[in-house]
Amino acid sequence: METKTVAVCMWSLGQGGLPVGTEEALTLGRKVASATGARLHLLVLGSLPDDCVETAGRFGVDDVDQIEDAALEAFSPDAYVEALAGYCQQESPALMIFSQAADTRVVAPRLAGRVGAGVVMNAVDVALGEGGGLQATASAYGGDTQMVYELSGAASYVVALSANALLPEPAEGGATQPGCRSIQVDLTGTNERIRVIEQARTEGPRLEDADIIVSGGRGLGGPENYKLIEQLAEALGGLAGASRPIVDEGWVDSSQQVGLTGKITRPALYLAAGISGASQHMAGCSAAKTIVAINKDPDAAIFRYASYGLVGDCLEILPELIRAARQ
Amino acid sequence: MRIVVCVKEVLDPDAVNNYALAGRLEIGEDGKSLTQTTIPRLMNGFDEQALEAALRLRDAGAEGRIGAVSVGPDAATILKHAAALGVDEIASVLMGEPSPDYHVVASLLAAYIRSSGDADLILCGRQASDDDQGVVPALICEALGMPLVTNARAIELAPAADEPTLRITRVTPDGDEVVEVPCPAVVTVSNELGEPRYPTAARKLAARRMKPEIITPEALALSPEALQPRVVAQRQFVPTVSGDCEFLPGETPAELADALIARLRQESVIS
Ligand SMILES: Cc1cc2nc3c(=O)[nH]c(=O)nc-3n(C[C@H](O)[C@H](O)[C@H](O)COP(=O)(O)OP(=O)(O)OC[C@H]3O[C@@H](n4cnc5c(N)ncnc54)[C@H](O)[C@@H]3O)c2cc1C
Repeated sequence: METKTVAVCMWSLGQGGLPVGTEEALTLGRKVASATGARLHLLVLGSLPDDCVETAGRFGVDDVDQIEDAALEAFSPDAYVEALAGYCQQESPALMIFSQAADTRVVAPRLAGRVGAGVVMNAVDVALGEGGGLQATASAYGGDTQMVYELSGAASYVVALSANALLPEPAEGGATQPGCRSIQVDLTGTNERIRVIEQARTEGPRLEDADIIVSGGRGLGGPENYKLIEQLAEALGGLAGASRPIVDEGWVDSSQQVGLTGKITRPALYLAAGISGASQHMAGCSAAKTIVAINKDPDAAIFRYASYGLVGDCLEILPELIRAARQ
Repeated sequence: MRIVVCVKEVLDPDAVNNYALAGRLEIGEDGKSLTQTTIPRLMNGFDEQALEAALRLRDAGAEGRIGAVSVGPDAATILKHAAALGVDEIASVLMGEPSPDYHVVASLLAAYIRSSGDADLILCGRQASDDDQGVVPALICEALGMPLVTNARAIELAPAADEPTLRITRVTPDGDEVVEVPCPAVVTVSNELGEPRYPTAARKLAARRMKPEIITPEALALSPEALQPRVVAQRQFVPTVSGDCEFLPGETPAELADALIARLRQESVIS
């Protein structure tokens, strides 16, 4: 496969700064571009975030490409796929990299289907394989295993990089001065087929942005004990999270689920009480700087990820933690 | 309306987790597959919930047939399970081992749906619990030119619409969103839909006599391009987890709690 252009794709929907994960995606893009002698592009759909060109330069981007259109101002899968497919037609990138999030989980594979590209989600790495072609490594079974996929058989590829898969590394040898190009794609024929009847409303701060998270799991024993998690979170100035079983049981709202199919968080402190440490849960919190686990089973898997462990009954320890945190 | 639910057979993820948690997950000599032959195979959990969504639509008065289809070497068991739950048609698109890549799977599913009389609604689980890729629904929607709505927790027929329209409550990072989409559409289902039903004994018995329609890829007359793999699994491995947990000392819950809070303050993790 000839790799002439690697494009990192993102949009910020007028949020100001670059979306979380852009620097990581650029780091991967730079690595693949260097290894294959390709140019690195940053493709922005919609308005350019303030720090976009400067950041792109730091990460060694050659060109910042922008598609601006009224149809891209709010997120619309149909318009976004159409815009990206138009870009692919004009620029023929060999590799398109997205940072994986709820919206890219829809757009990236649809783009692949639209333009006949191969697609890999949950990627943690892309590198040159022994045969000289590209290989993508992606987590499977929630992270219990990783799969190495060979990318051959299609002219282009779409890869979504898992949040927290790697650390951002600015380009060696200092910043570049990326050129800025405006790409024209005709979106007049695109009408979003999905009609939003009731918008999602985030109430209050989001787990994804939280600095401190206290999460509870099935080890809490019953829904009445979840208040201990909320109280400790409040005492520490953080937010309350949960493992999937207690969401499925209806103890807490699904917006509080941390993990592979819930929120992907990266707090400074993640405190897990009565959570076993299944890979699908850890996929949502293993990037925390400090993980504290409270579990009555000293062999619980969560202790393999934790910096600090407390072995004991969380129903006894949590009230004491609330007391100590308030002091 | 015709509803087609796409279902996949996977290794029981809880059993895989248990091996992983015990540090005993091993990859076989082919470098690709898990060696544990005792791990049961079952229908992907999210696909079971997609089936449940179809059955709930019928319970709510949607008329028509519900089909279940699977691509793989031997899907008879999960298809019989689908039949026992109440679907009207089961179909198995035969593909040998190793399992084909998602592009090929999606091409086969789209071609089957087209050749078997089209569908007003195609339901899939949000992702399969083995490879977690979740790309097949998107590839099907593009192959058939349908819209895709992901992560549904509830699906109903929109009231008083001129043309068949679905009203879907979907789970998003910002909370629930309610959308409407005209049929035909592809919809993926998330675990928030809730517990799938169990088959009754009588239905299980009846399902035993139901045979899946067997479809060969040749019969679907796909182009070589559609059957060309693009993402080929080379190798699978078990990543290592660092693990240097410091167990904090304490005889009582109060001592443990004080030790932790003191340590976190000392390390400036909390104030
Ligand atoms: C495809 C797929 C996706 C998934 N996605 C997610 C996801 O996004 N998020 C998620 O969380 N899970 C997810 N799961 C489920 C995951 O595999 C685990 O089943 C789940 O995380 C376990 O939750 P838990 O730790 O709360 O419960 P359990 O595994 O039951 O663990 C309970 C723990 O509490 C301990 N305990 C019990 N009593 C006490 C006590 N009194 N004091 C202290 N400790 C106690 C036990 O020792 C045990 O370790 C997914 C699974 C699949 C197959």
